[in-house]
Amino acid sequence: MASGKVSTSIFKQDNQPVYVLHSYPFKETSLVVELFTRDFGRVAAVAKGARRPRSAMRGMLQSFQPLLGAWSGKLELKTLHSLEWYAGLLMLQGEALMCGFYMNELLLRLLAREDAHEMLFDDYGLTLKALAAAPSDSANILRRFELRLLQQLGYAVPLTHNIKDEAVLADAQYFYVPEMGPVSLQHDYQENGVQLSGKTLLDMDKDDYADVQTQQQSKQLMRLLISHYLGDKPLHTRQLLMDLQDL
Amino acid sequence: MSTPASLEQLIEALRCLPGVGPKSATRMAYYLLQRDRPGANLLANALDTALQVVGHCQLCNTFSEQPVCPMCASGNRDSSLLCVVEMPTDMMMMEQTHAFEGMYFVLMGRLSPLDGVGPKEIGLEKLLKRAQDGLVKEVVLATNYTVEGEATAHYISEMLAKHGLKLTRIARGMPMGGEIEHVDSGTLAQAMMERRKVL
Ligand SMILES: [Zn+2]
Repeated sequence: MASGKVSTSIFKQDNQPVYVLHSYPFKETSLVVELFTRDFGRVAAVAKGARRPRSAMRGMLQSFQPLLGAWSGKLELKTLHSLEWYAGLLMLQGEALMCGFYMNELLLRLLAREDAHEMLFDDYGLTLKALAAAPSDSANILRRFELRLLQQLGYAVPLTHNIKDEAVLADAQYFYVPEMGPVSLQHDYQENGVQLSGKTLLDMDKDDYADVQTQQQSKQLMRLLISHYLGDKPLHTRQLLMDLQDL
Repeated sequence: MSTPASLEQLIEALRCLPGVGPKSATRMAYYLLQRDRPGANLLANALDTALQVVGHCQLCNTFSEQPVCPMCASGNRDSSLLCVVEMPTDMMMMEQTHAFEGMYFVLMGRLSPLDGVGPKEIGLEKLLKRAQDGLVKEVVLATNYTVEGEATAHYISEMLAKHGLKLTRIARGMPMGGEIEHVDSGTLAQAMMERRKVL
């Protein structure tokens, strides 16, 4: 973590690896840019004049591109000084692009401000690369990202042991309850959970999404867990992905 | 001193403009009432008239005083080509090139997945109907090369995929007269990735 050092330099940051998660208009000609930074987590910064036609920053404010950013400020809303290209250009197209928006919305909703998650940042970059390289595998790529996101945000997602700390058996059926984990079917927690096989949980632990049943059940499980941690407000991007499927 | 109620209302009304906060709205209202009353009158009348007579062209969806705008009604455009753009200004820019002789469809926006602007919020159903008039053979996706513009182009191509239309996307790459030394890295990287066969 980059916090802890007390010096004036913490107010000015240079050459920081960042991704643009989102931006929205601010005052007449500026933008507020939501950045996902490697060393400082989610940072909001004003890009002054970025909505002017000739702004140097305009073309750089594209999501899903690895960038280097410089900003300063000690309040919650920083001032963005520059964004530069860093590493290669990523081409997210079609469904992969839609998945990218979904990931950004998850991060915007679940990441607290200025709480560094270096590993998650690296995972995010690798996930974008994987999506760009193999868009047809997007469902499995998203499952991995969702699981790692929850784990790295500190939410326990037990997969190998049930709530009694007994090893999960591949051929047994379980009920998965948020905040608790897998319970045997005879339990009384059935009101808020999904039923799945032990194999699904063990596959997820091994990062193996080859099995069709694992794909379906892990999707249900991650949907349940993410909705649980997001609260009532639905995800815009999920609606769009559903609209796309209905075409 | 308290602000008169009608002045308060004007300030509040001006805040519906994008990027106009309470301070700018107050400045505008004071200016209109103190410095430029004839201008204010003109603005009020123009706004009133425009609201009454300006609608959307049934064919291209851009602003129009007639049910079908002059360009769509002219009859000298190639009706087998339909170019989809985000805004009326994009259509004007495209027209200035004299490079396109087909018809247009103006979305009046773009998908913005993170802001909840979905297909229902922009004119996509209207486009679906428009593209199936039996004359359109090719739909040219000329939305912006931003992530939102790309998302919009993707959605439209999925929407029109099973309707037997040719779908194309405007190209990107090196600008006209572009020197590699001076072009931005993103454009250059794109141009390299989307290089085309010469021989
Ligand atoms: Zn028209």
